[in-house]
Amino acid sequence: MNGGLNHNPSMTLTINGEDVTWNGEATASLADVIREGQGLTGTKIGCRTGECGACTVLLDGQPVVSCLVPAASAQGQTIETIEGLARHAEFRELEQAMQEYGGVQCGFCTPGVMMTTWAWLQNPALFGGDIGAALKNNLCRCTGYRGIIEAAEHVLASKGAVR
Amino acid sequence: MTTNRMQQPSKSTDAKVMNPADPNPSGKQVNPALKQKPLDLKSKMEGQTRYLHDMNFPGQLIGAIYRSPYAHARIKRINVEKARQVEGVHAVITGDDVPNHKYGPTKFKDWNILAKDRVLFIGDEIAAVAAETREAAEQALALIEVELEPLEGVFDPEDAMASGAPQIHEDVELNRPMKVDVARGDLEEGKKKATIVKGGRYVSNRIYQGHLEPVGAIAFWSEEEGITIWAPSHIPYRAREAYAAGFGLPEDKVRIIVPPIGGSFGAKYVLKVHVIAAALAMVTGRHVKIILDRHEDMITAHPRVPLTFDIEIGADAEGNFVYKDLTVYADAGARVYWSPNVIATACTRADNIYHFHNVKSTGYLVYTNNSPTTCMRGFGNAEMLFAVESVIDEIALELGMDPAELRLKNIVHSGDTTLHGYRLDTCNLDECIEKVKELSGWNRRKELPPYRGLGLAVANHVSGFRAIDPRFDGSTAVIRIKPGGFVEVETGEIELGQGMTMTYARIASRVLGIPEDEILVKSGDTGRYPFGIGTLASRSTVMGGNAVQKAAESLLREIQQLGVQTLGEGAVFEEGVVKHDGKTYSLGDVVDWFRARHAGEELTVKETYVPDTELPDATYFGHPSPNYPFAAHVAEVEVDPDTGRTKVVGYWAVHDSGTILHETMAKSQVLGAVAQGIGWVTMEDLIVQEGKVMNPSMMDYRMPGAKDMPDVQVHFVQEADPHGPFGAKSLGEVALDPVPGAIANAIAHATGRRGQVLPMSAERVWMSLQS
Repeated sequence: MNGGLNHNPSMTLTINGEDVTWNGEATASLADVIREGQGLTGTKIGCRTGECGACTVLLDGQPVVSCLVPAASAQGQTIETIEGLARHAEFRELEQAMQEYGGVQCGFCTPGVMMTTWAWLQNPALFGGDIGAALKNNLCRCTGYRGIIEAAEHVLASKGAVR
Repeated sequence: MTTNRMQQPSKSTDAKVMNPADPNPSGKQVNPALKQKPLDLKSKMEGQTRYLHDMNFPGQLIGAIYRSPYAHARIKRINVEKARQVEGVHAVITGDDVPNHKYGPTKFKDWNILAKDRVLFIGDEIAAVAAETREAAEQALALIEVELEPLEGVFDPEDAMASGAPQIHEDVELNRPMKVDVARGDLEEGKKKATIVKGGRYVSNRIYQGHLEPVGAIAFWSEEEGITIWAPSHIPYRAREAYAAGFGLPEDKVRIIVPPIGGSFGAKYVLKVHVIAAALAMVTGRHVKIILDRHEDMITAHPRVPLTFDIEIGADAEGNFVYKDLTVYADAGARVYWSPNVIATACTRADNIYHFHNVKSTGYLVYTNNSPTTCMRGFGNAEMLFAVESVIDEIALELGMDPAELRLKNIVHSGDTTLHGYRLDTCNLDECIEKVKELSGWNRRKELPPYRGLGLAVANHVSGFRAIDPRFDGSTAVIRIKPGGFVEVETGEIELGQGMTMTYARIASRVLGIPEDEILVKSGDTGRYPFGIGTLASRSTVMGGNAVQKAAESLLREIQQLGVQTLGEGAVFEEGVVKHDGKTYSLGDVVDWFRARHAGEELTVKETYVPDTELPDATYFGHPSPNYPFAAHVAEVEVDPDTGRTKVVGYWAVHDSGTILHETMAKSQVLGAVAQGIGWVTMEDLIVQEGKVMNPSMMDYRMPGAKDMPDVQVHFVQEADPHGPFGAKSLGEVALDPVPGAIANAIAHATGRRGQVLPMSAERVWMSLQS
């Protein structure tokens, strides 16, 4: 049935290192495929218009707002969600710092914030070295950002110390 | 970071005195088998926390709402037949299909489930659909035919109070459901003593609470159980009572289960979305889920109550305040949510921070054809203090006195009973002011470069408020030892992300001597947990915390007694274990002993804390809270004279919240509040024209981002208060209360122009600089 006129041809995406198939709407956003197709509800939907950043995931290592990315365009790219990120051993260090510096309250923006912060830690130069600039697409209404910023800077500094 | 004036907690407890910040008071290793996984920060960070949107039920339908496009209109005809024919649609309901009781969350019963004759604001609910898919629901909405006859609307409270204005509710004349009159001392005498009088009209605007998780609900109905609603409400028991009345059901036939709440700040108390989901569930017999998208959330938003203040404060030549004269107009919108409590707070709270001696406040709560307004963190006090703190700086300017000195001359102190009857057993506001001066380098104020300013403001608040529910006040906690020795605390108060559950675990841990990681705090189900008034009025630490402490102390006695009964004289419970004759017994053993004597039932204690407060009387005199927190903040701003744009470049916050139980979360509360205050004063404004929200997106309603935050230094002056758990007072709202005033005063200092209207947008500041 995968003929040219089929409205919903299946597509294959690589999410958290696994090839998954999506048979739903061809125009679905990446966020919907992640949440509804894969049940990975760690990716949150706060606005669906790319303004709040709660749905941030990594596409080939870059943070993107997945509500604005057509899933079809992400074929062939590496998609990482918060569930995948949480499997990294180094994630613990960021987690610990966020807890110690008060970077989490209600938690709704938090998975997106963790994605962006992680991407910044991998390559701070990408954002001019500034975690505040990296977080420009992540709204947080609870914490006032300072705890997040201090946590990220702490982790970066301790990485530097190891090297 | 911390000044400890009194190391010893002033409340007696059976547990040994420990540092409240120590998460593991017994010092022993956490037993991995007993390690609990509450709604913790880790699960939030790993994306494992399931919010409402992440929950689904078999057979669940999607609900959607048909809303009025007019601010005021008569419903002439509704036809839903075509909508009902859409494939996948299970129900389309109108006002004719639902009960028609008057109900509401306060004593003003002006809610309906769906509109019948008239619609009163843009977004007012006319019909609702439940369908198998969102697409089917949207198609059905598009096929609903509604004929509306537009009526004249009124959008400004003063216009709405004028004779001849359209009457919004048939039984409320002059559109004025409530008038507040407060008078103490002798205003006329006060006016005679005044040599300096400052004031004018100050305006506090509509602020969108900006919760990251959009509003929503899932509802289900069965004959046996009644209505179950999964809704992120932080006053679920009051919501249950209001909604039950709406359906003509007994209170107990509505159960509200509260999933983790993705931010509220006052937005998610009680909402029509909850009620409409329930109405659809009753008709369809299915679970019905409604999640508003951000656009719908914002066009139907119930923002912070906009308040207009006509204020005058008088002082004598030495700077002693001699009177305050105030008139407040509050825009309730078309129905009453929580605006009555907000205006009552605005009319009274600031008189309990300064000795004004002679005060008069008149408050008008007024219906308009705007979307109903409701509470937001600060709850009338932050708004009022914006005006009061601005006017006080104007007085200081005219007197040529340092604004900090003028405040120190007039503030309340420990041991005072305030003008309206608040009894201040602890008040370290003077020390907060001194400390914030020191931290901020206040004395450089006179030497700042042009367009740079330093502003100071102070604040008070309550730790729970007796008049929230005149019938009762306090909180109840249950503590259980489950088979295996797991300790669970149950409370009726609600976690909002502020760290309530961590605080309660810490309190119980401190009394029982077991690590807080081994204590699970549960709440958020009106069908399972004790009654709770809810997380509002900065209640949770003091009200719920006292109940948890009391229950833990009761459990401690029970275990001790059980140890002696089981093992004989000499058995003692300490450091989380029972010790006897050189042997130790775990809580797992303790619960086994109990179960052996009680038909297998687990060991449970239940305790209620009732505060020693006094319900404010008809003149608003009383002692409404167990204790009162205070704060002094300083903001430093830089104003760009070419654009009018304000940047907050430094911020210092000093708080008297008694003993701080969880320093990290406490600091995070203050930082978040400062961010919200920066947004409020410099950028946020839900613009409403003739009832229509003009900026219903997060792009057009800009909230602070990471780059808008300066470095913020937070300091706690810690004196244990005799009425708080381990000496704690509240923090959540007092952290926001002084922020608008501090920034407003810094802008006035930087520009030499007094802004009286929020927000002080770049445009407004630039305009003021041209005059």
